[in-house]
Amino acid sequence: MGPARVVGDDRLHELSLAQAIWRQVTREMESHPRCRLAALTVVVGTFSGADPESLEFAMRLVAEGSAWPTAEVRIRTEPVALKCRACGRAYETGTLDLACPECGGFDVEVTGGRDLRLESLEVVQDDEAPDSS
Amino acid sequence: MRRQIRLEKKVVSENDRLAKELAERFRAAGMLAVNLMSSPGAGKTSLLEETSRRLGGELRLAAIGGDLATDRDAERLRRAGMPTRQINTGRGCHLSAAQVAEALDAFDGPGQPIRLDSLDVLFIENVGNLVCPAQFDLGERRRVVVASTPEGDDKPVKYPVVFHTADCVVLNKTDLLEATLFSCEAFRRYVRGLAPKARILELSCRTGEGLEAWLDWLRAERAAAKKG
Repeated sequence: MGPARVVGDDRLHELSLAQAIWRQVTREMESHPRCRLAALTVVVGTFSGADPESLEFAMRLVAEGSAWPTAEVRIRTEPVALKCRACGRAYETGTLDLACPECGGFDVEVTGGRDLRLESLEVVQDDEAPDSS
Repeated sequence: MRRQIRLEKKVVSENDRLAKELAERFRAAGMLAVNLMSSPGAGKTSLLEETSRRLGGELRLAAIGGDLATDRDAERLRRAGMPTRQINTGRGCHLSAAQVAEALDAFDGPGQPIRLDSLDVLFIENVGNLVCPAQFDLGERRRVVVASTPEGDDKPVKYPVVFHTADCVVLNKTDLLEATLFSCEAFRRYVRGLAPKARILELSCRTGEGLEAWLDWLRAERAAAKKG
């Protein structure tokens, strides 16, 4: 009988996502050496599986331990975009009830709302820097 | 001066990165990796037991199984002739790519009989849960969702994310159809709506009815995986 083991560190899904986002932020900030991070916006698709509230909480935790502890974390939720194959209706929903509002069917194509994206950063140029304008 | 930098970059998690590495290992070995997902009790282990008994002489099979606790599923699969590595996730509600990689290393390690390139099919039996496993890529080539008739025919629309990602949906326990109010027609309609390309296979692990179509699907997918 093989030994059964407890492994893995992905139990707090949103925490590992927050860390991944922060790694991308850090990489991006490397190309703006004279800037300080003021805010960042993350888009959470309703169909992405991530929970916006948990992600926001996790993002704040990770931010506090970072080089920009006061950076403002903005989480924007994006609805699921759908197209009904039966009646052609295009619609959006903020829930996972995907039924077509027109015909009630579930023959639907998911056209958006799957992503978790780092949308933008807001940076402040350091005025003390020699080549700042 | 404050300015905005537009990025629009998809977040690549550590799990996505590890899953990509796993997918590459599976591809290099020319074998088929299948991620099996279902709610607890739908019959993932029963399906693998029957698969081992019927296909074990023809293809080289192995499994990695995830459960919160115990080695019971692995014992069942080993008794059915399938080399199996059990992962206990503790409180974890899904398997992660890191856990699969670690289990593979245990398979590949010294004194262990299984090597990836000596396998035809590796089954990754996920933790019984229709929510979180959908979010965690394990490097698999194919995703199979197992549902069963006592769960009700509307399972797909209640858990749309996992069904949306399925390559194959197995409906198990068709031997219980008469005892339930399950409508196969409604179930198929719901699945086709969410995953139009997914194969839908109705079977009973208990009676063996419909299992041959599942084995044929596996044979075809394994042949495709071998071609790369």
